[in-house]
Amino acid sequence: MKKVFSKKKTISVISVIMLISLWKLASFLYDSELILPSPESTVVTTVKLLFSENFLAVIGATIFRGLIGFLISFFLGISLGIWAGINQNFEAFLKPILVTIRSTPVISLILLALIWFSVDFVAIFIAFLTMFPFICTNVIDGIKNVDKDLIEMAKIYKVDHLRIIKEVYLPAITPFIFSGASSAMGFGWRAIIIGEVLSQPKFGIGTLMQTAQTYLLVNEVIAWTIIAIIISSLFELVIRKVEHAVVNWK
Amino acid sequence: MSLRINKLYKSRHEINLFQDFDIEIKEKTITCILGPSGCGKTTLLNMISDTVQPESGTFEGFDNKVISYIFQDPRLLPWKTVKENITFVLNGLYPKKEVEKIASTYLRLVELKEFSGFYPAALSGGMKQRVAIARAFSYPSDLILMDEPLKALDLKLKLNLMKSFRRLWQSDKRTVLFVTHDVDEALLLGNEIFVFSKPPVNIKEKFTINLKERTLNNPEITNLKNKIWEVME
Repeated sequence: MKKVFSKKKTISVISVIMLISLWKLASFLYDSELILPSPESTVVTTVKLLFSENFLAVIGATIFRGLIGFLISFFLGISLGIWAGINQNFEAFLKPILVTIRSTPVISLILLALIWFSVDFVAIFIAFLTMFPFICTNVIDGIKNVDKDLIEMAKIYKVDHLRIIKEVYLPAITPFIFSGASSAMGFGWRAIIIGEVLSQPKFGIGTLMQTAQTYLLVNEVIAWTIIAIIISSLFELVIRKVEHAVVNWK
Repeated sequence: MSLRINKLYKSRHEINLFQDFDIEIKEKTITCILGPSGCGKTTLLNMISDTVQPESGTFEGFDNKVISYIFQDPRLLPWKTVKENITFVLNGLYPKKEVEKIASTYLRLVELKEFSGFYPAALSGGMKQRVAIARAFSYPSDLILMDEPLKALDLKLKLNLMKSFRRLWQSDKRTVLFVTHDVDEALLLGNEIFVFSKPPVNIKEKFTINLKERTLNNPEITNLKNKIWEVME
């Protein structure tokens, strides 16, 4: 078991090394720091950004927008999802709304949000619209997958409805909530940054990416990208850890 | 005192399971219903527990009866520990301390006290079914319905579980309705045995066993067994 795991890990490391070597090779062939900076100069830029003035304010603002959008999607997604999972009429009502939100291009949402809302709110709105359908759909699927036999058992023993939701449905859908949250986060961060690029709030990773692009600072654009990837994977890690702590009965 | 079902009609998947069917179940005894698969045994239990509706028929003496159900599968909540699975059906019925006490008592009776804090995933099939039995007995029911709860278990576990079950029942005599297609199970557990026919169901014969200690090699039991086989043929 352990051996298989370490073998997998080795292969993953090789894949990362290959990616970086390709990048190195390409930058060597282009031979222009302006168009494609080398990996090592990008690392230097990244570190410089980490210690730059306002760095914490910048990533703090982006993370704050993401978290607010996530929390709204999380609570709304779970409550509406449970309702739709249990009540078919409500599901029929909610499904078209979810499909519409999901199939609307993110860029249309941003362009409209730019007209409708204040600059600071655009990214939160976009975060919410990208994350909510993931969580909600997963919760609906989760409720439908709840073992009907367990519900029947609880009903025969006259356990009241509220406790059936709290002690049977909710724990049963927890794994679904986590996988929904994890895909929501993955898409969410990307959407937030696009939102920031276009709405240009005072602080935000997207704002600075746009500035860097304007001044053709390719190394800074890539450096911010790396920072965004790190933030995204840190949150993914947190979700996995929390899931592991909550779903301890498997 | 007894429970009666009269003039019961029920069909399922276009098969008439019950057509003008009557049965009388004695209270505070273990009644076994023995019959071939698909003869509507489970449907009968589900009508009694009100999860399935009959087309017509009267149920006398069932009003206000509190029911426990032991299913074919244990139906434990995987995210609750052994003890929490039992307190799950008791919470709200008694004060918290009392709930804990009752759960502990029944876990001791099914010899699972040391496993109170385990999650079902860590238990064997037989242990899970013992938790389900403890749950059914800890619940303040008048009537316990059992739907082939031993079906998935091997012989040794079966015998063991039947022993725990009879011991529990001896100390707390409730009305038990036990459905099975296994003659040995019926002989080892039942006080009354009804042999059902294929649908539409009629009662082919009713046997009564008054023995307290049951073993399969007891002459009275082997004698009965032969008779039941004859009826079932």
